[in-house]
Amino acid sequence: MMSADPTAPAAPFARYQLGAAYDEMFAAPQRPRGHYTRLYERLLELPADELERRQTAADQNFLNQGVTFTVYGADEGTERIFPYDLLPRIITSAEWDVIERGLTQRITALNLFLRDIYHDGHILHDGVIPADLVLSCRHYRREMRGIRLVRDAYISIAGTDLVRLPDGRFAVLEDNVRVPSGVSYMLVNRQVSKRVFPNLFDHYNVRPNEQYGQALLATLRALDPQQRPDPRVVLLTPGVYNSAYFEHTFLARQMGIELVEGRDLLVHNNVVYMRTTAGLERVDVIYRRVDDDFIDPLSFRHDSFLGVAGLMHAYRAGNVGLANAIGTGVADDKAVYAYVPRIIRYYTGEDPILENVETFVLADDVQRRHVLDNLESLVVKAVGESGGYGMLIGPHSTAAEREAFRRQIEADPRNYIAQPTLALSQAPCFIDGGIEARHIDLRPYILSGERVVIVPGGLTRVALRRGSLVVNSSQGGGSKDTWILHD
Amino acid sequence: MHYAIRHLTRFRYSAPVTESMMEIRMQPRSDAGQRCVSFRLQTVPRALVSSHRDHNGNIVHHFDIPPRHTQITVTAEAVVEVSAPPAPDAATGWDALGVGLPLDVLDALVPSHYARPTPLLATLTGAVWPVRPATPLQALRGLNHAMARHFAYAPQSTHVDSPIDDALRSGRGVCQDFAHIFIAAARSIGIPCRYVSGYLFHRLEDHDRSAADATHAWAEAWLPGVGWHGFDPTNDIEAGVRHIRVAVGRDYADVPPTRGVFRGGADETLDVVVRVQPTDVPVTPEPAEAVAPPWLEPVVAADDLAALQQQQQQQ
Repeated sequence: MMSADPTAPAAPFARYQLGAAYDEMFAAPQRPRGHYTRLYERLLELPADELERRQTAADQNFLNQGVTFTVYGADEGTERIFPYDLLPRIITSAEWDVIERGLTQRITALNLFLRDIYHDGHILHDGVIPADLVLSCRHYRREMRGIRLVRDAYISIAGTDLVRLPDGRFAVLEDNVRVPSGVSYMLVNRQVSKRVFPNLFDHYNVRPNEQYGQALLATLRALDPQQRPDPRVVLLTPGVYNSAYFEHTFLARQMGIELVEGRDLLVHNNVVYMRTTAGLERVDVIYRRVDDDFIDPLSFRHDSFLGVAGLMHAYRAGNVGLANAIGTGVADDKAVYAYVPRIIRYYTGEDPILENVETFVLADDVQRRHVLDNLESLVVKAVGESGGYGMLIGPHSTAAEREAFRRQIEADPRNYIAQPTLALSQAPCFIDGGIEARHIDLRPYILSGERVVIVPGGLTRVALRRGSLVVNSSQGGGSKDTWILHD
Repeated sequence: MHYAIRHLTRFRYSAPVTESMMEIRMQPRSDAGQRCVSFRLQTVPRALVSSHRDHNGNIVHHFDIPPRHTQITVTAEAVVEVSAPPAPDAATGWDALGVGLPLDVLDALVPSHYARPTPLLATLTGAVWPVRPATPLQALRGLNHAMARHFAYAPQSTHVDSPIDDALRSGRGVCQDFAHIFIAAARSIGIPCRYVSGYLFHRLEDHDRSAADATHAWAEAWLPGVGWHGFDPTNDIEAGVRHIRVAVGRDYADVPPTRGVFRGGADETLDVVVRVQPTDVPVTPEPAEAVAPPWLEPVVAADDLAALQQQQQQQ
């Protein structure tokens, strides 16, 4: 006669391992946290093949909707489905409250910072952040000096990457304040998870997120420099070959606005027009998903075909609003990131609610020596890159890779920072017919218009390879729905 | 001294183009010892010209020409008054460069697109300054003299977008290369330095190496108590009443006299004619600010633009 071993994990969790990282579901082996108990029990009840069946249905859903992205540099170099994990990530109301207050404080401070460095530069004169660090930033746009923006709105849309540390606190890993992507996956994940777990979803009393499209539109309308009652807002995409093209079409549809490419717009006498079959129509606000470098061949990269020549003239003249503003990239430069806690204290007089991850600035001689002596235990990142490109993960690197990075760092130290290898929190994921732990992060989307609005939730990204710490979709990551609970 | 300057630029396209959009940096500055008394800019085809002051304080004129065209002519005419700059205080030491510098001065310390440190530059500075000179001014004068000795002035030896290493390697270049090398070298020992584009009035007796009746480029270093002081490494002189300053920036990339884009598959050829002449004091000098951008054509209403384009294309 066989009796169940009370200490052995239940069948679907047979391969589930707890480690040094914070586990989102389990406080201890077989002891789910309160807000995960109902999900845990449900997973124990479900027949073995039921999860498999639901995963197939979910995947089909994504395929039918055409929810895909492009991986640059991969041999195929083509469209892939963004891998979706069935099991929702659940965050309590109390935890979300801290996140929401922390992110509001952070974006407020970053907007004040951008206004300052493009005008008087008080923070530089006061020595809170080294002036040469800001002035040497590739994304510092001198063209923005002295330009007044409606509401001083530099960052209107941010996607901030949070990680949960082993002690359970959330910390900011990275700010994305140029053209953050991924919010469409947040919205599609919700549509799918409601279908996959309808009863569970109802049971949990999850805060809705489908109002994001309208909140974004309200944020964009507020940027009309002329403050007209019914401004024309368009979404400017680089085009169909961009990795986030699906998202551009998705958001334009959600907001009911035109999706345009650079060639659809023109500037004449400092006003932006859209070419339509009925002639030219004035454009008041552009939600641009084109980087600064490419947005105006007259002011920036001369060889760009993606932008609108003369856009800076229209912008300077106060004839068009842009989201995000030109030059916001200084605020998400990874070396400037190290100073964000000081930036928050400087402008708000408050302590940061969400802390940073420890960061070494390699332009500093002492910090650089420490990093070069400890490359095998650190993560090195290029300051102006994103999407997991230009990165060295020390513990998973070869001696040759470390040597190559050492040379790159020594040649251009300003271009790199280093951070300790983080034990990102882990959450249950449905993998190969069972439930295993995978590392995750969280990217909430912050809208800053007349006030700061953060739609409850965000994109929980999953490092699908066992043990991997890289969650970027471009590097083999996936995602899952994020449920923020009511009280 | 008063000068009258006429700067004519003609762009010719090998095939018709549309939607030309152009920025012009040709209005002489009114600051330091210089005053732009009058300025006029005309374009053919005609366009509504607007202007703004860029972050370096340069006046930028810009315009766009939507209909088809095969050439654009830009004529800039200026009258400028230039007085001799004050002599810098030779005694000012390095310490005064340290603290409380304004943003635009700090910006002149950071490497920029064309003026950035390279190993070849380090070889040059190592030879020019085996030990650190006693004062910044001494360092800059030493650099100016050394560059005149080390480099041959050779028109057409480099391109507008040549990196400084081309000239450092060959020992030849034009004023723009020399300015960039001077700037990168000055920054490398902690002296804020920036690029000046403008004109040099040539007299026969001066034996300048740079070409007469052309645009010129030199460098300005920031010296405590003095402010920006000009060095012309092409001609081994310091900027004086013959130097007419049009635009300043970190390097050439910030201040090209013209920058433009157009729509259409055509090759562009460029002709430039510059004339700089001393002139009598104008009888009724008008302040430069009062010279409005020439509204040569009524504003084209937005709704009419498409019609205008179609009309043009039917001709």
